[in-house]
Amino acid sequence: MDNFWDIKAKEIMQSFSEDKNYEKWKEAVLNPWNKKTGYKDKTRENSSSMPVKELYTAGDLPRDAAERIGYPGEYPFTRGIYPNMYRGRNWTMRMFSGFGTPDDTNKRLKYLIENGETGLSIAFDMPTLYGYDCDSKRAEGEVGKCGVNVSSLHDMERIFDGIDLSKVSTSMTINAPAAILTAMYFVLAEKKGIPLEKISGTVQADILKEYIAQKEWMYPPEAHLRLIRDMLVYSTEHVPKWNYISVSGYHIREAGSSAVQELAFTLADGFYYIEMGINAGLDVDDFAPRTSFFFNSSINFFEEIAKFRAARRIWATVLKEKYNAKNPKSMALKFHTQTSGYTLTWQQPLNNIVRTTIEAMAAVLGGTQSLHTNSYDEAWALPTDDAVKVALRTQQILAEETGITDVIDPLGGSYYLERLTCEMEIEAYKYFSEIEKMGGILNAVKSGYLQKEIADTSYKKQLKIEREEDIIVGVNKYVDRDEKPINTLKITDVAEKGQISSLENVKKNRDESKVSRSLEELHKAMEDDRVNLMPYIMECVRNYCTLEEISNVGREIFGEWKEPKIY
Amino acid sequence: MLGGRYSVSGRSQKYTEAPIKVLLAKPAIDGHDRGIFVLAKAFRDAGMDVIYAGLLPTPEEVVDTAINEDVDVIALSLLNGAHMTAFRNVMEILKKRGVQDIAVVGGGIIPDEDKPALEKMGITGNFGPGTPLNVIIDHIKTRAREIRKMRENEY
Amino acid sequence: MNTDILAQGILHGDYRAIARSISLIENSGYEVRKAIIKRIYGHGDAKVVGITGPPGVGKSTAIGNLAPLLAAHGKVAVLAIDPASPFSGGAILGNRIRMQSALSKQGIYMRSTSNRLYNGGLSEYTWDIVKVLEAAGNDYIILETVGSGQADIDVMDIADVTCVFLAPGLGDEIQAIKSGIMEIGDIFVVNKIDREGSYLAIKDIRESLSMSNKLETPVIGVNSLTGDHYGELVQSILKMNARNPREKYYKKLKMVVMEAIYDEYSNYVDSIEFGDNPLKEDPYTMAEEILGKQVARPEKLKDRER
Repeated sequence: MDNFWDIKAKEIMQSFSEDKNYEKWKEAVLNPWNKKTGYKDKTRENSSSMPVKELYTAGDLPRDAAERIGYPGEYPFTRGIYPNMYRGRNWTMRMFSGFGTPDDTNKRLKYLIENGETGLSIAFDMPTLYGYDCDSKRAEGEVGKCGVNVSSLHDMERIFDGIDLSKVSTSMTINAPAAILTAMYFVLAEKKGIPLEKISGTVQADILKEYIAQKEWMYPPEAHLRLIRDMLVYSTEHVPKWNYISVSGYHIREAGSSAVQELAFTLADGFYYIEMGINAGLDVDDFAPRTSFFFNSSINFFEEIAKFRAARRIWATVLKEKYNAKNPKSMALKFHTQTSGYTLTWQQPLNNIVRTTIEAMAAVLGGTQSLHTNSYDEAWALPTDDAVKVALRTQQILAEETGITDVIDPLGGSYYLERLTCEMEIEAYKYFSEIEKMGGILNAVKSGYLQKEIADTSYKKQLKIEREEDIIVGVNKYVDRDEKPINTLKITDVAEKGQISSLENVKKNRDESKVSRSLEELHKAMEDDRVNLMPYIMECVRNYCTLEEISNVGREIFGEWKEPKIY
Repeated sequence: MLGGRYSVSGRSQKYTEAPIKVLLAKPAIDGHDRGIFVLAKAFRDAGMDVIYAGLLPTPEEVVDTAINEDVDVIALSLLNGAHMTAFRNVMEILKKRGVQDIAVVGGGIIPDEDKPALEKMGITGNFGPGTPLNVIIDHIKTRAREIRKMRENEY
Repeated sequence: MNTDILAQGILHGDYRAIARSISLIENSGYEVRKAIIKRIYGHGDAKVVGITGPPGVGKSTAIGNLAPLLAAHGKVAVLAIDPASPFSGGAILGNRIRMQSALSKQGIYMRSTSNRLYNGGLSEYTWDIVKVLEAAGNDYIILETVGSGQADIDVMDIADVTCVFLAPGLGDEIQAIKSGIMEIGDIFVVNKIDREGSYLAIKDIRESLSMSNKLETPVIGVNSLTGDHYGELVQSILKMNARNPREKYYKKLKMVVMEAIYDEYSNYVDSIEFGDNPLKEDPYTMAEEILGKQVARPEKLKDRER
């Protein structure tokens, strides 16, 4: 029996027709030409193993193309979520940054603001991402290495020193301890005297993709999902401009998935969060508009653009037809994009500027709301100021020199792109159906099914590179014999030492009785699944309980989690 | 029954020629496991027995596993910049336990200037991004052969 | 190679000696294997607990729960077997992931092994490895089979107690009944009892046990995330009697004899230099001819016994 997804896939398939003229042209013109020139055609495919033809024609459009494509700012949002797109306002240039101590990061943020950045985006270091303090044994050697270290509210205060929280929107890439960092941001606003209704921003908080791809978690899935539910409900009631989640495909792609897998697994996660909100008793239109997405933009230009457009159309269709959303804002999928880190090469690093430019252009032509461009030196280390500036300038050139922002969805109507968009939709619907048959996304994640799909795709890709079926310039073709090292950002152990002594100070100056009382209260609240934990976590944060102290309450109650075996 | 079961007879097998056993580990808090899965599959397809002990092992757990499983090679990988601390911890624990007959090979995002120090600790390879799988596999095989020869004279 | 020192190490429970001996047993051929077993044979007395069941049923997680509980009753070791790739012969041994932290807290010895394409759910030398672990002073040896979806029936030749793990909702019950796994189980465990359908799974298993006249066989529902009902499982394991050691001995004896015969004949067949037309005789006739020349040995043995 067909489920909802099977029916949607079939609808699209049945809208295709044949192009007899194309077949005639092939026979009369193309084949003789190939024969004459001695060209032997072979199947070519994109990253999602979908074969691509040599030519697309009017016959490749679905019969109801006009309706499926639609108009910008209107259901099904294929052409973009705003009526005037970039004519009205450019995308937000949001450079992901964070390293060393909170003071180092504060300096970098101010540098970016001075250079025209329009939204802040904070990267945290590994200990923070896993809920360990800088003085933990597990944090040794990792403090400030891959992002900024935050061990208590005090560090958050330093990161945003001199930055007006009511004027910026802040994105925080944090997942397992998302509720704690969110609480810190809320309390920080409170201390600065800014009402919670005035602050805006996004917290990533997408734990499903952690189990699928990025592998940063503290507890079993159910425990983290409960915390996300609490953030969702709390922000719906108190922080109306706060995006409680950024459903992320970026990491799924970086972990080795194809474009279609990124599309399907991310949206499947998104549907789960929508169902979670509905199950928590909220009306879908009360929270769905604050669901945002985060995609990867990789190097296969048209495939990426089709992916973004397919994502919008699927989301709109499903929210409307399956979850009965009434508000168009619930149906409009807004997303942030980051260019692919995986495509950056360690060899001939300047080539990375070109790759990033192409990927950024795909994101813009795909209608992104905000964009991070990677720096050319990031296969080596965290980026230097100079490299970051080139990356930001890349966006500014795209926005202000090229003219691609003058026309809304300029590639809309391209035979190839529209056909590819439809085909990606079909493939995604097939995955949704598969996932449903496995008992839903949570079961699919816990059993390791999605992880295995990704690992298989990634290994196949690697073998293609090894066999030189897939070319990477500078790596398996046009190789330079002597690679010269470039200047990279060095993060010394000074950051670690500084953070440890700063945390020591925080602990010396706080009221220990308040600390233990608020932790005990959190412990009690956690044991009752019906209680919203946000106020309790905020109270802990206010009293300068550390990240690890708060995380440990959950570790005691929920226990830990080990990944399933996937081969 | 015989054909399937004894298609390769172990009766006259030689220790130095039997499949290599490798432990793949990321001895710190680093969840980037794309590369480690690619390596696990590539090593398997090169005929090796590959132990993968999962994410976030402590250096102690890495050494415990290596000893209990009696691996020939420990292949360490980190992409988070913590290799100098974490790799050194593994080497020190191996030394403390008196283990000298396990080879240690490194990889990840390792700047050139760190390589001499790692070599000095006894960690070889130290492969960066984009290294062909064959190069890594050959290196592991060479180190494992050395280890097996050395072990034949032990005990 | 000094197997005396190795054997001493095993008997003292030294992990490095145990680990190396197992490698040598797996990798060094008949003579070394024999030398090790000969030196430790008869030492130790362990109850071998087999854990089998289809893939994805949570065997490794279950062992992470079970091993520390059994450790309260004696010394425990774990041996887990993974399948090798039929193309390269290599294997990814990942059973550690889900039991590592539980085991390392108590210092429980755990070893992963490839089946090296040997059928039946174990590896060719599982018996030998179990003997090493037994001689090392373990009271309980937990043995995880490959669990590739077929019945891993060899486990009953080695284990004293075989626990068959199943989970609700995957159609496992039905598969299990079809694949003959019902016949090998001494205890049936339904994992993930928090899941829908677990009650039905238990009921199905009880029914099919009653059809094969195994009504007494325990069927236990457990939850590996919370550890619920693992106490019951441990009690059932402790209650079971050890299997008749003679049966196990004969199985292994047969394997060693077969190994020798296979090796000898295989080498002999390879060495035959056929004439110009080697394929004219059908293989049956040819084989009888070869056996006729060689096979009299068991008869001779009988003579010797007399």
